[in-house]
Amino acid sequence: MALTDADLVARVLLDDDHHAFAELVRNHQSSVRGLLRQLVRTDVSLADDLAQETFLRAYKNLRSFRGEARFSTWLYRIAYNCFREEARKRKELVGIDEAQLEAQHDPHTTDPALRHDLAQALQLLPLHERTAILLCCQNGLSHDEAARVLEIPLGTVKTNVLRGREKLKRSLAAWGPN
Amino acid sequence: MDENLQEDWIDARLRDDASYVDDGGFTARVVQKLPAHRVRHSLRAAILLGVTLVASAIAYLLSGGGWFIAEGVTRFALLPLPVIWLCAAGATALVMAGGLAAAMSRTGGRLR
Repeated sequence: MALTDADLVARVLLDDDHHAFAELVRNHQSSVRGLLRQLVRTDVSLADDLAQETFLRAYKNLRSFRGEARFSTWLYRIAYNCFREEARKRKELVGIDEAQLEAQHDPHTTDPALRHDLAQALQLLPLHERTAILLCCQNGLSHDEAARVLEIPLGTVKTNVLRGREKLKRSLAAWGPN
Repeated sequence: MDENLQEDWIDARLRDDASYVDDGGFTARVVQKLPAHRVRHSLRAAILLGVTLVASAIAYLLSGGGWFIAEGVTRFALLPLPVIWLCAAGATALVMAGGLAAAMSRTGGRLR
């Protein structure tokens, strides 16, 4: 039987079990790296460096995880903080290594042209709307969870998602369902 | 066009776009960077207790059977009562300050 996140966290805390922590990393690396790649917009290796920093911080601060939120929500919060610190250092994270991102995607899921337009439309969104859209619509967080991750009021998250969705809708009108 | 239908469509495209990122050695790299295994709490307590006992035994032997402790207690007992009270109050304040500092470091400075 597969162990839950709570079981794995308990093992790390009690026995400093590196195997249990590796299992946590394996379970969540895709979503954390995916989110950071969408946020960073520069190169995949920077996003992966931030993801690595995210997991190392999670390991060091695991005792502060009280299980009130999902482990993934807690990780997203650390990842978002890592991203914010990096963004402050670099002032602005712009430009996307699209070829590298394309190479990482499964070519069978979506029309490549649609994926390209979607990526472009996402990049045109202001950071706060993009982040809210990525967390809520792409990673399945509730508005409340996203508010915790971003440390902003719930109403602001709802507004950002609504506005972001409106803009995406307009940008992708040609692709939409008839 | 139906608003909800379009929202669902956009959410579905976003979820499609979030395809699985292959591990590709990422987990191994993270585990490699983890700090070395921490000494367990129980083991740490045992080590501290052992070191304390050994140090006490050495001090006892080197001081000729601990005569200085008996001497110190005798001198302390001869002090005026207000001084003894003052010492007791000082010791209590020190212990309380230590406990408070430990509690604050545990809660990251937040006291509820």
